[in-house]
Amino acid sequence: MNVAVHLRRYGTLAGFALMVIFFAVNLPDTFLSARNLLNVSQQISMLAVVAFTMTVVMSMGDFDLSVGAMASLAGVVAATLFVAGWPVGWAIAAALGVGVVGGLLNGFLVSILGILPFVATLGTMTVFGGLAFVVSDGRTVFGRDIPAGFSGFARSGLELGEWRIPALTLVALAVLAVIWLVLEQTPYGRRLYAIGGNIEAARLAGTRVKRLRWLAFTFTGMGAAIAGLMYASRVASANPTQGDGLMLDAIACVFLGMTMSEEGEPRVLGTALGVLLLGLLDNGLTQMNVDSYIREVLVGTIIILAVASGSLGTLRRR
Amino acid sequence: MRTLTISGLDKSYGPARVLRGVDLTLHPGEVHALMGENGAGKSTLIKVLAGIVDADRMTLAVDGAERRLAGPADAAALGLRFVHQELNIVPSLSVAENILLSRHTPRRFGLAVDWAALRARAADALARFGATHIDPGARAGGLSTGDRMLTVLAGILAADDTPPSVFVMDEPTAALTHAEADRLFAVIAELKARGAAILYVSHRMAEVVAIANRVTVLRDGAVALSCPMAETSKEGIIEAMTGQPLADAYPSRTEGTAPGRDIVLDVAELSVGPVCDVAFRLRRGEILGIAGLEGAGQSEVLRALLGDLTLRNGRVTLGGEPGPRSAAEAWGRGVAYVPRERRAEGLMLGRSIAPNVVLPHLQRLSRMGLWSRGRAERVEAEARGREVRLKYDRLGQSVATLSGGNQQKVVFARAVAGTPRLALLDEPTRGVDVGARGDIYRSIRRLSATGTGVVMTSSDLPELIGMCDRILILSGGRQAGIVEAAGLTSARLLAMIYGDRPAEAVA
Repeated sequence: MNVAVHLRRYGTLAGFALMVIFFAVNLPDTFLSARNLLNVSQQISMLAVVAFTMTVVMSMGDFDLSVGAMASLAGVVAATLFVAGWPVGWAIAAALGVGVVGGLLNGFLVSILGILPFVATLGTMTVFGGLAFVVSDGRTVFGRDIPAGFSGFARSGLELGEWRIPALTLVALAVLAVIWLVLEQTPYGRRLYAIGGNIEAARLAGTRVKRLRWLAFTFTGMGAAIAGLMYASRVASANPTQGDGLMLDAIACVFLGMTMSEEGEPRVLGTALGVLLLGLLDNGLTQMNVDSYIREVLVGTIIILAVASGSLGTLRRR
Repeated sequence: MRTLTISGLDKSYGPARVLRGVDLTLHPGEVHALMGENGAGKSTLIKVLAGIVDADRMTLAVDGAERRLAGPADAAALGLRFVHQELNIVPSLSVAENILLSRHTPRRFGLAVDWAALRARAADALARFGATHIDPGARAGGLSTGDRMLTVLAGILAADDTPPSVFVMDEPTAALTHAEADRLFAVIAELKARGAAILYVSHRMAEVVAIANRVTVLRDGAVALSCPMAETSKEGIIEAMTGQPLADAYPSRTEGTAPGRDIVLDVAELSVGPVCDVAFRLRRGEILGIAGLEGAGQSEVLRALLGDLTLRNGRVTLGGEPGPRSAAEAWGRGVAYVPRERRAEGLMLGRSIAPNVVLPHLQRLSRMGLWSRGRAERVEAEARGREVRLKYDRLGQSVATLSGGNQQKVVFARAVAGTPRLALLDEPTRGVDVGARGDIYRSIRRLSATGTGVVMTSSDLPELIGMCDRILILSGGRQAGIVEAAGLTSARLLAMIYGDRPAEAVA
């Protein structure tokens, strides 16, 4: 292993550490306090769920642009059903069902029809986004239309001694555990990585490529729907665009995670670090009263730096 | 008409000394064969000559006068030209455009491409070595591999700057049919007659013995043998390459492992790809070879048996039941497959050895199909690696860092892992060095000894004759017959491939 490979693997981690030190020095009383960290964990929980499930499709070398729109759609579906008088449980199940159906549609387009994931999910992104407006009639559902049992969930938590772990954080951790088990501990996950490694070789070595690839997209659909519900619960309202921003950040987190893995492939624990990095950066900048537009510029720059340091290892070989 | 001399060439990558004091002299009008196992330093030597890799130490002289070689431009100025195994053509452009790709395009009114002049110049270049059958207006992507090779050569000859004086050909016949290879040899003879020097790199011993005037063998980065071809022999070269005397190139069956009686595979009236009416029965432990010209349908037959191609017609019966309908079903029913192109179709190059070996066996190595056991997978990969004599530093290294022979052994380790009842091997030793070939032959024998039925294709006819019990011949789009391999000569087999009637009827 040469210097460039080390720089690629540990550059992101070193940058992460420097960032934490910088904020810890500049915000000595607040940044590293347990309260703030628990707060961050709740803020990033929706992004985390989308990014974890995005790791599943990216392990195959695919990606899913429709997750943000799906999150919005799932949120307004649930809220609209609340208004229609459905019980909370049924409305949530219906919203998750929409996520699964959307995922199956994406998987069908990509795996069975063979449309490039970029094109297919760009299309479904537009479709889901439009449907969110159709379902909600373009309005925001809020206030008394949202049952207290639903919005209360995001405010609940698990008391652990003097700390209280937010419920949304626990959801994100549960999704992390499930995705980690699926990707790292099951033959299914190994096969997804095989598809990402060489799809032709995987097929000829007996992997049911079409079926696996199809099913993998249900993870992103489902993850997006869960995130949309978490979002709606947290802000106790639902509007047809509130999840849209999740998609780019989620893909960015997976890329950040990829720079830290040995073979440069998406690993869900790496993605988790990527999510933490973005979340802490966001939190620190907000506390230092940095303008949110500047934050966007910084986030974009960091991603490019991380991925550029990743390609350092390969540049020299050409 | 110049003599190019390299002396004292040293090159290290980190602690690894890839080339150690290599001397090489290329005389005008001579074909100089460069041989050695994969990893012996041939590719590095070629890269140094091309100016892509800087030598640590080297003296290069042309007709005794010392010259500098510090980049591809210097190599070109010295008159060095390179023909690689992977042919650099642009498939979407015409033959003429490919030939004149690096030249100034003829124009009309200084602007529009003068297509007529372009084609005429390309046709000229092709005609210089009798390749008049290639239409300069044809799309290059539609050409056969051999015609692509001729196109590349024509492109080199069409260069109007420094006249080329040294051609470096890296495994030029690896993808050619016999007829195409013969045409290439004619071109080489012509170049030789014009006073060019040719450095010819190949694994194909028979070819080298036939066309080279002089041979240099590298072993572990040093020159192990360098002499006129007349002073050595095939055996001498192999001995120099491996450092040990040549045992029997093709291990014979050991006692008591003759093919059994049970039929593993029954194929009737199979039509797929370019062939029709393939029919044979494969017994337990039998090795059946499929011979034919390049693209005669060998690969398609194997893919059809794997269930990966739909049959136009015919029946495949595996172990008494209808043949598999997908590669996944095939592996599940004990069929192992070694694809033709290991890099594109066989390996996940960026991944380490273990995942590559255990990929089709994940289910079996897991707990109830649900839980992967990483340790069991690594143990399996190590055990199979030992079986095929895989050489590696650590199990975690990516297969891209292995030599070609060892990459092929990874694909083999995967195939032998499930003790398959049927193994389909498509060109199992393509681009593999002599030492690794021996290991692969022994693996095939071991498979057959345990009762696995083997169907293999190869463009290396002595290999088919040496390894197989029977050989099925594809000729002119159909099965021309099946012959016993014992006592067959390459010449006889080749004649049958070209359409002579096999001595024996269809078995």
